[in-house]
Amino acid sequence: MPVAVPIEHVLALAGLLFLLGLIGVLVRRNVMFLLMSLEVMMNAAGLAFVAAGARWGAPDGQIMFMFILALAAAEVAVALGIVVQLARRFESLDVDNADEMYG
Amino acid sequence: MSGMDLLWLVPAAPLVGFLILFVLHDYLPKTVAAVVGAGSVGVSALAALLVGIDYYEAGAEPTWQLLWTWMSVAGFDPAIRLYLDGLSLAMTGVITGVGFLIHVYATGYMWNDHEEPEGFARFFAYMNLFVFAMLMLVLGDNLLVLFLGWEGVGLCSYLLIGFYHQDPANGYAARKAFVVTRVGDTFMALGLFLMFRELGTIEIQESLTLANAQWSGGDTTMALIIGLLLLGGAVGKSAQVPLQTWLPDAMAGPTPVSALIHAATMVTAGVYLIARMHDIFLISPEAQLAVAVVGLVTLFIASFTALVQTDIKRVLAFSTMSQIGYMFFALGVGAWSAAIFHLMTHAFFKALLFLSAGSVILALHHEQDIFKMGGLWRKLPIPFASMLIGSICLAALPFTSGFFSKDVIMLTAFEHESHGLVFWGGAAIAAFMTALYTTRMMIVVFFGGQRTEAHDSSRLNMWGPLLVLCALSLLGGWFGFGVVAGVLPDGGLSEFSHFSPVAIITMLMPFLGIFVGWLVFGRRIIDVEALAASKAGNALKRFFFGGWGFDWLYDNAVVRPVMWAARINKGDIVDWIYRITVAVTRGAHHVGSLTQSGRLRWYAANMAFGLALFFLIVLGVIG
Repeated sequence: MPVAVPIEHVLALAGLLFLLGLIGVLVRRNVMFLLMSLEVMMNAAGLAFVAAGARWGAPDGQIMFMFILALAAAEVAVALGIVVQLARRFESLDVDNADEMYG
Repeated sequence: MSGMDLLWLVPAAPLVGFLILFVLHDYLPKTVAAVVGAGSVGVSALAALLVGIDYYEAGAEPTWQLLWTWMSVAGFDPAIRLYLDGLSLAMTGVITGVGFLIHVYATGYMWNDHEEPEGFARFFAYMNLFVFAMLMLVLGDNLLVLFLGWEGVGLCSYLLIGFYHQDPANGYAARKAFVVTRVGDTFMALGLFLMFRELGTIEIQESLTLANAQWSGGDTTMALIIGLLLLGGAVGKSAQVPLQTWLPDAMAGPTPVSALIHAATMVTAGVYLIARMHDIFLISPEAQLAVAVVGLVTLFIASFTALVQTDIKRVLAFSTMSQIGYMFFALGVGAWSAAIFHLMTHAFFKALLFLSAGSVILALHHEQDIFKMGGLWRKLPIPFASMLIGSICLAALPFTSGFFSKDVIMLTAFEHESHGLVFWGGAAIAAFMTALYTTRMMIVVFFGGQRTEAHDSSRLNMWGPLLVLCALSLLGGWFGFGVVAGVLPDGGLSEFSHFSPVAIITMLMPFLGIFVGWLVFGRRIIDVEALAASKAGNALKRFFFGGWGFDWLYDNAVVRPVMWAARINKGDIVDWIYRITVAVTRGAHHVGSLTQSGRLRWYAANMAFGLALFFLIVLGVIG
């Protein structure tokens, strides 16, 4: 019988991961790191789902994680296209270069 | 088919002519424009003739022709309906008949126009629109259609006075005419509103019946107010004192325009209005007296002013003013039919005078100063003969058309119950003055030494109408007022003895005027120049010349203060409210657009910030 990890710990870890990811999104200018930070944030959300599912013994949490995986895959497909475009047009991966749409 | 069914064609033909000319005016050759322009009015005149014959054969009963319902809103459903009775038939006859002759004449007069060579079709478009509007005015069966025509003729008057738009002075004259008549129109509109409120209908015949039923014999205050308001409108349109100042300036338009609009038809709309609404004036004798006084004052002032004018068209303009004064005077003293009769004969001889003056002006290459003319009778026999005929009709020599109509007016005035002698005396002096200024004009223009070369190049389309108008002017008196009998309360002309002292003096007045005119301007027994150069004479001459100071008065009392206020308020104070609104909106837009930096991370940070705020609120930490 494995020792159950208290749910508070798991949620605290998920919150920490989410915060780390958010800080990454806000402070990194390189689009690759931006996407990686987004991935961390999504996995933090996934972790929270799985932990909650385990806590109530329901399969919903794991099903939600499947959706998040699918979402992450779709996001990567689109985001890589954007990365390629960014590299071609601005010859750098700095997202702040692409600030022409404003006002 | 009954001829009466053609009534709709009378106004429709000029309208179609206007639409064709207005839409295609750049593409139509001059010949086609002339045929369409004059032809449409010709068709209208022909239709009016058939309608007229039918009307009398059917026993001269007033009839209607319903065209369509204009609108229908909550029991208010004015119809476009034409009303035919003796009065509207007489007006229609004058408008289409004289109008047709003037249109034909204008095809010659405007052919080689020096100022607006491209404006030939445009000119006829406006003229046709005018004829249409004027016909709607006299044929309309309710006050709304009447008002539509009333404003329509005002618009055409404006367009045609300012026809030579290259010269700013003409535009000024056009605006002046428009604004001054608008003052009268405002009174008239108020009068019509009041009638609608008091009587609840805008059908003319119905409202007059109701007015008689409601006010007759009782409290006539409302009839007096409405009568005075209508008189205000009539005064503006017909250039009577105190709204007469626009008419002399309106001579800036081409001469056929002066003949059609500012002599024969539009300026008589006021007379028509009062005649049409005569029940109101019969209910309120005070209002009718006001009409007589306005007429008498105008005819007096205008005939003195005409005596000192130097521009041939201005002489005729003041003469028109004073003749319309006679018509108002006639309405005021109760000679209803005589007023319409005089309207008709005046349309004949004044159109004749204007058109022959036009021929003289054209022959002298647009010279209008009578003192630069002189000795033209040999060179221009046809204009001379027609102007002579027009003049004797204007002066009302016996057996000309002007004599028949004016005689009745004067003799009816003499029998006026309270002011007979004053009215008759004033009118008699004005008749003397009329003959005097007419003689002066004829002598200065056609006799004496020739001062300017003249080339008469008029063809059939110009002297033809002159001859027809000559015949009408001379013989028009003989067909009498049969035309207007029955619609107006005096039921035709009461018979007067032509051998009473008053009648003989009335008849002799024009002869006296002509004789004095001949002595002064022909034989020169008085040195007019020396008299005019003396101090008192000069002051008097300038006073008369300026139209008795009315222009000066209005300039200082109205035009200058308004211009001054306009200059002060150039920035428009009221506009500031809207300018502030615009500034606030713009500022908010700038602040808002600052948040849209285009930076992805800035948006993400805002989202995170908002989310954090949301959580804090949910957790109850803030708010």
